[in-house]
Amino acid sequence: MQVVVQDLVTNCDLSGKGKLVLLLHGWGDNLHGLRNLHKTLSSKYQVLSLDLPGFGNTDAPTTVWGLDEYGKFVAALLKKLELKQPYAVIGHSNGGAIAIRMVAQGLLNPERIILIAASGIRSDQSVRRLAFQVIAKTGNIATAWLPERYRGVLRRSLYGAAGSDLYVMPQLQETFKKTVRQDVQVDAEKIHIPTLLIYARDDDIVPLSYGRRYHHLINDSILAIIESGGHFVHQKQPTQVLEHIERFLA
Amino acid sequence: METVAVIFGGRSTEHDVSIITAIRSIIKPLELTKHFRVEAVYVSKDGSWYWDEKLKDITLYTSGDITGFLNKHHTLNVQFDGGLTFFKTSGITGRKTTQKIDIVFPSMHGTHGEDGALMGVLDMANVPYVGCGVRASAIAMDKVLAKQVVQANGLPVVPFVYFTKDQVDTEPLKCLKIITEKLHYPLFIKPAHLGSSIGISHASNDKELQNGLEVAVHYDDKVIVEEAVHNLIEVTLPIMGNNEPKPALLEQPLTSSEDFFDFDTKYIGGKKGGSKKGGVKGAQGYSQIPAKLPKQLEKQAFDLGLAVYRALECSGIARIDMLIDEKTGVVYFNEANPLPGSLYAHNWNRAGVSNVELVSELIRYGKERFAIEQQLNTTFKTSFLQQF
Repeated sequence: MQVVVQDLVTNCDLSGKGKLVLLLHGWGDNLHGLRNLHKTLSSKYQVLSLDLPGFGNTDAPTTVWGLDEYGKFVAALLKKLELKQPYAVIGHSNGGAIAIRMVAQGLLNPERIILIAASGIRSDQSVRRLAFQVIAKTGNIATAWLPERYRGVLRRSLYGAAGSDLYVMPQLQETFKKTVRQDVQVDAEKIHIPTLLIYARDDDIVPLSYGRRYHHLINDSILAIIESGGHFVHQKQPTQVLEHIERFLA
Repeated sequence: METVAVIFGGRSTEHDVSIITAIRSIIKPLELTKHFRVEAVYVSKDGSWYWDEKLKDITLYTSGDITGFLNKHHTLNVQFDGGLTFFKTSGITGRKTTQKIDIVFPSMHGTHGEDGALMGVLDMANVPYVGCGVRASAIAMDKVLAKQVVQANGLPVVPFVYFTKDQVDTEPLKCLKIITEKLHYPLFIKPAHLGSSIGISHASNDKELQNGLEVAVHYDDKVIVEEAVHNLIEVTLPIMGNNEPKPALLEQPLTSSEDFFDFDTKYIGGKKGGSKKGGVKGAQGYSQIPAKLPKQLEKQAFDLGLAVYRALECSGIARIDMLIDEKTGVVYFNEANPLPGSLYAHNWNRAGVSNVELVSELIRYGKERFAIEQQLNTTFKTSFLQQF
């Protein structure tokens, strides 16, 4: 289904009956990435998933967005579809960071939150992030003499090697930069509703330490650790993830 | 050896689809004929034209390297010299390359290409080209005009109404009132000039209808709203030829009705609802070729497809989409596509026409129509100027 929200053609999928569950995908992903969750949960709940602006089949924002703009957009979509506050919101990776920010700002008022490999902790200078910054800075100096088209190719390879999502969606580079600068730890502290945190022990993009940190910050939270599955643990270990989610939502 | 210029890309939402049609279904088979020198002309999304041998390489587009390529190449210049001649400069010395074009093979879907705009330029240049002419292209690519012409020829179309973007923007409630008075749910809302299912919505109630209108006018300045057909069987019929059109096989998409109106289903692997069972993978997901229909319905569909092709004055090639109400046995005209995606080569192959034969025949039809047009008298002797 397509609707126009904030002048952007927005692709979303609303199905099932019952309490509303909202699904928010991560950076570079789209609603298909959460299809398994959508399909299973829609047998018991009304489920809304969407392509966030710039991803999937939703128009890209025309200005630089951060978590706040994405949050306001999701709230506007709920209003457009004449939906009440969701019973639960499920956010994966950057979708988790958006969910945390929305709840802290009062844009969302769910009874349950589920964060799968949620990002949003930006002060942790992990080795990867450090490497990313070093490469970005030294790369700029070292490649200054190259023509722009070759610098672009080289940049893509270097950022890719550093595990950065900067070039996953080239048209959203500035939005990505703004988004990754936003830390939502203060927002997480404001959450006082039951929250389920699901992290894979082998996630090398958003590490388990982020889950532990959120567990510490959100006082009514449960941390479910899945031994393997990486960053897309809901796709790699769907049965385990769904068991946790269904038990938590029941 | 004749030189064929294949023009593709363009300022259209169907830019990417047109690249695939050009490279896979036109350029490769034309080169295999060994009868033509093929020149690739790529029109970028900003409307700049480029001419280069490397533009025939699909990986240039799939890898995203096309932007870098365009940055280091000059745009194409054209000379209207009673025909069409390309020229470009390259290298530090500004070396000039020229090429006289014998016939053009347009491969631009959607706006500024399939809608007759490109054909107008080619008519002005007095160069033969493949496919429908200006009038047929312009009418076929306007879903409202096409339905009006077909209806005026006494052929069946589903009940429809249409509005301009201005009407929808300024008087949405009035539009809703007109629609609900004249038509019955469920409805389909479509941008009038776009193909590939872009901006199409299905509505079962006023709220969905309102949303669908907003989406459609986001893409186009005219929107058509039409009743959905019950007990639906969708079929499509590729046809080629000029005065004596020849049909390929009647084809039935195996996607569900709802999913068929979706760009991803059509062009990204038929992944949503497309089914392999009993079908072949074509330009737009899986489909059944030939469609399994009762003899009478099959005949009606062939007759209607050919009648529409003639009514719209199509030439060269087109694909006619039809909707069948299985219970009432009525076959309705739905849409005409003057440049079917990938030429619908998969269907022609099943009908016994190879890709090489298909492009060769289309070139022949293009030249045939051009020769007929050249015989028309375009001058009229008068003494009008002498009075000044």
